[in-house]
Amino acid sequence: MRGLFRWSGKWWPGVVPLVLFWAIAAWNNTASVEADLGGKSAAAVKDIVLDKTRISVDGRDVTFAADAFSEDGRHGALIAVETVPGVRLVNDESRLVPEAKPFVWSAQREVARITLAGNAPLPAVRAKLMDVARDEVKGIEISDQMNLARGAPAHFEDAAVLLIGQISKLKDGKVAISDSGVTLSGMARELGGREAIAAALRNLPQGFSVSANDVRAPPYVFQANKDPVAVTLTLSGYVPDENVHAAILGSASRKFFSEKVVDNLKTSVGAPSGFVNAAIPALGVLSRLSTGTLVVSDREVKISGDALYEAAAAQIKAGLPKDFPRDFQVKADISVKPASAPVDATVCQQLFNDLLSKAKVRFLTGRATIDSDSAGLLDHLIETALRCPNANIEIAGHTDSDGEDAANQALSERRAQAVLDYFVKAGLPADRFTATGYGSSQPIASNDTDDGRAQNRRIEFLVR
Amino acid sequence: MAYLIAFHWGWLLASLLLGLGMGWIAVVSRVRPVSSRWMLILSVLAAILVALALTRIVPGRFGYWLDLLLLMFVPYLVGCAIGSQLRDWVVRRTMPPV
Repeated sequence: MRGLFRWSGKWWPGVVPLVLFWAIAAWNNTASVEADLGGKSAAAVKDIVLDKTRISVDGRDVTFAADAFSEDGRHGALIAVETVPGVRLVNDESRLVPEAKPFVWSAQREVARITLAGNAPLPAVRAKLMDVARDEVKGIEISDQMNLARGAPAHFEDAAVLLIGQISKLKDGKVAISDSGVTLSGMARELGGREAIAAALRNLPQGFSVSANDVRAPPYVFQANKDPVAVTLTLSGYVPDENVHAAILGSASRKFFSEKVVDNLKTSVGAPSGFVNAAIPALGVLSRLSTGTLVVSDREVKISGDALYEAAAAQIKAGLPKDFPRDFQVKADISVKPASAPVDATVCQQLFNDLLSKAKVRFLTGRATIDSDSAGLLDHLIETALRCPNANIEIAGHTDSDGEDAANQALSERRAQAVLDYFVKAGLPADRFTATGYGSSQPIASNDTDDGRAQNRRIEFLVR
Repeated sequence: MAYLIAFHWGWLLASLLLGLGMGWIAVVSRVRPVSSRWMLILSVLAAILVALALTRIVPGRFGYWLDLLLLMFVPYLVGCAIGSQLRDWVVRRTMPPV
């Protein structure tokens, strides 16, 4: 032992290369040690829910910074880094995610973007909400402006997912959660969307309630366009149900005797009360126009177009207040079509025949009251009569053979006279017209069939 | 410690071999030995460095380098002791009997 002590006094020359070794080792290995410890520390906290995790290593000392979502999680992460083999010291710069009071979250839809904002309780929930939004509304930019915060109410995730599901039903608007209260505002994308959203909100998780639902429905629109070139009547927009749909189609086919009816109507809830009582008279007005457009939007009716002659325009305007339900506002922009060129008696007769080959003047059953569905046809007949101002015209009434001859005779006379009166009211001189009833004496078809009898019940115009 | 040894085993082995060589030479070397006074000073210095390492006062890379230096000193000293002992044993065996 004494020898060892004596020899140790001569060991000092080896310290010089030893220090050299140490310097080379330190030069070569410092970066490797730091990278190794950094990787192992990151792996140690990989499965712990943290946000904004930053790990830096200086020598064997680890600086650990992260936002934790609970004190247990923060403590566990710290222990995990401290127990990484090789770590000498841990500088703890971790903190708890701030608590939001109230806990607010929202999803706002604009035309081409959805913005998720407010608080989200965990990174996984935040990512899930973004995924749900992308799935729900494809092809639209989704903007993430959410911040992580503690203090979310129970079942927050379920409530937020349900509300994102409603975003697709909005044209624009906002859904929001504030603690356990839910608010919605904006415009529904389609008719019925507001009702669908209200129904979905009944499935909100327990504890959540709707504080305000200010989702507005889009206007309930019914449109009709009469195109004289294509000879079509195009119906579009919405009707409340199939019964009203059938009623409107039936009315249109009776009123528009020469146009092909193009049906683009869809059924939807949300119609204003009295919709059908406004739509059918509005179609009646449109049928009296040579060209025109009708728009029923909620409780507003807009009709524009050209009447066939001056008196028709005046009659239409005068009839508007009484033809529509009181709670509907009617705006009519009726002008008058330029008068057609006069024609001689032969052409005039031909024009009458052409019109009457397409439709007949209709009367209420067994009576001499003109059916309102014939207003459009009568306007065209009057316009034709205006084109031959020098011709005398006989208005001839005919019936089928059902019933007493005397009654049929009287009915045919009264119906011919009713048409004559209608013409005179339109401003035509009474002395140009004669009303004659022929009863059932001049059938044009067999009275043995319904179809034949229907053909025999008619008004004819004979130009003299 | 285990981590440092595992990570730097090559350098520690080199220190051990250096110590063995130095110890082997020291027995017959004519180099002037360190005086007792200096031996005391160096021992105190070593004790201070060990204390600094154990208390982890030196931060970051300097702390790591201090740990590494002290760790490499251990096999060096062990190597010196073994080397000197072996050389002494060899010298004694080869000396002619008095």
